[in-house]
Amino acid sequence: MKENKFIYLYEDSFEELLYIFDYLIKRNLTPLDIVKEKDYVPNLLDPTIFLKKETKENMQNKYLNKTSKKIMFVIKDIYLSNACHKELISYYFLRNALKYQETIFYRKNLKCVNMALNISHYVRRETHKMKGFLRFQEIQNHILYAKMAPENNIIFALANHFKERLKNEIWIIHDVKRHIYAIYKENKIYFLQEEKNPIIKMTDEEKEIEHLWKSFFQAVGIEERENKRCQMSFMPKKYWRYLIEMEDENENNCNWKNVN
Amino acid sequence: MSTEEKLIILADGAKYDASCSSSGITRKNTGGIGNGAYSGICHSFSKDGRCISLLKILFTNCCIFDCKYCINRKSNQIKRAIFTPKEICEITIHFYRRNYIEGLFLSSAVIKNADYTMGKLIETITLLRTKYHFSGYIHVKAIPGASEVLIKKLGSLVDRMSINRELPSDQGLLLLAPQKNAQRIEHVMDLIDQNKNKNFVPAGQSTQMIVGATKESDYEMMKKSSRMYEKYHLKRVFYSAYISVNQDKLLPSLELPPLKREHRLYEADFLLRFYGLQVENLLDKNHPNFNVLYDPKVDWALRHMNEFPKEINKASYLDLLKIPGIGPTSAKKIISSRKYFKITFEDLKKMGISIKRAKYFILCNGLSFVNPKMLKKDFIAQNIILESKEVSEEKKGVQLSLFYEGE
Repeated sequence: MKENKFIYLYEDSFEELLYIFDYLIKRNLTPLDIVKEKDYVPNLLDPTIFLKKETKENMQNKYLNKTSKKIMFVIKDIYLSNACHKELISYYFLRNALKYQETIFYRKNLKCVNMALNISHYVRRETHKMKGFLRFQEIQNHILYAKMAPENNIIFALANHFKERLKNEIWIIHDVKRHIYAIYKENKIYFLQEEKNPIIKMTDEEKEIEHLWKSFFQAVGIEERENKRCQMSFMPKKYWRYLIEMEDENENNCNWKNVN
Repeated sequence: MSTEEKLIILADGAKYDASCSSSGITRKNTGGIGNGAYSGICHSFSKDGRCISLLKILFTNCCIFDCKYCINRKSNQIKRAIFTPKEICEITIHFYRRNYIEGLFLSSAVIKNADYTMGKLIETITLLRTKYHFSGYIHVKAIPGASEVLIKKLGSLVDRMSINRELPSDQGLLLLAPQKNAQRIEHVMDLIDQNKNKNFVPAGQSTQMIVGATKESDYEMMKKSSRMYEKYHLKRVFYSAYISVNQDKLLPSLELPPLKREHRLYEADFLLRFYGLQVENLLDKNHPNFNVLYDPKVDWALRHMNEFPKEINKASYLDLLKIPGIGPTSAKKIISSRKYFKITFEDLKKMGISIKRAKYFILCNGLSFVNPKMLKKDFIAQNIILESKEVSEEKKGVQLSLFYEGE
């Protein structure tokens, strides 16, 4: 592999990222880094190259044919994660995947493979947790609205889960960190990016139901077995902010207001 | 009485049931609300650290039985409540829509008689499935003594149906729950097992036993569990540490629930189900209880020191499973990886396999982590106890010492 001293910038999409990978693999290059264009903080030392996809070829299909579904899922997971240098990690993972194919999953002694699989695992685990921790509130017109602030960008997987589950509802999932909305209506999910916050009106009935849930939550815990540490390790504090049953604890311990 | 008051009373009465799993079904949404998630989903965790996945409530806590250990027994002076089927359905749907829960776990005290209670449960679940078109997870408790027809009817509506064994021995049950009958409880288990298919209790059945309410040893407890796993193909046996809620001369006077013992039983239970070990490997008549200081697998390994250390790169799957600190997931990882490279201690760490326990029992490429001369039974036992979480927490900031008598 040839060393080169460039930082490659890409426009934020999975296709564009794969195009850079493709470009680098063809020329057998080792970049200094690969960074999302809008996240890049310029400095004087490192030269940058901004690459934009020029061919009509579908990169996803190309690499799906060259590797496998399972490998592409890992690369997609990494793309959606918030890990540092995730592009570089997934680039090396892809290179190794082309070489080792399916057996890549057993080669955890390779640093990049190990890191890549750990990131992918983290994204999937968070998706699974969020399926449980997401809380909808009923707002105007019986629309269900849920806020969340996960570490990774997991809204696409979540939306698919609720599409099947809450078929006959209209619902909105709002990723507060990334300002992405997933809106579901009549069997279709629409994703949109919007910085403005919507105006939410909560009904009295909604408050009653939330109260009912809190009462249940209190009643179902066994006093004699209290184990807050265990509770916290399964349900880390970072998720408490939008959990209705933890509201009282939030007021006591956390200064969420200062964060936002 | 308001719905909220009822919910508080009837959730309080149901909380001693340990089971809250929602896994093992792939029920599709049939145009209404809800579906099954095969892996199960935990929606919250209560202050005792247990997962809340299902809306765990009783239909009523008015009971004609007088089981000594139970908070809802007839002779207790407590607030009594009863739900209507409609109320249960509405709370379930309200909670489910907002993603608070994964489904319903409905149990009940015996009101009037077993068949009447069972009828009420059937009415509720039928309403929920047909009128509210709910396809989420439902777990019900079968009522001991209900007729076969009703059990078959209810089983066809739910994902899991279970009945609690409560105590491992028939004498224990006779002593503390004289109105329950061991044969009839096991008959219901048998009935569920015989009829199980994809439309009848697809997620299988489980049961629960109380730990420490009677004098049974761990050996008797595990014997009973393994017999039930074999005979009725249970998915799980839950163990619940006895919590002293009633005063009675037949009950032990325990200040705190025996949580440690419960923990050891769960560990042993996993060894039976996933590690191919038999009860006789772990305990026997002369050695009927688990060591509270270390877990059953370490205990087993220390008694079979001649089998160790094992070479990670050569040991068979079953041999790997015998190493303390290595479970089925780690063992599978090792087997599939070592085809491609020789595993070192470094690699084990990278693979996410903890060697905290295992380091005393393994070799990687012929190398040992600890000086091989030191690997004697007593040395390992002492170190494992000192490394355990409980000890290191208790003694935080204090110089660790093996001998406390001199203080």
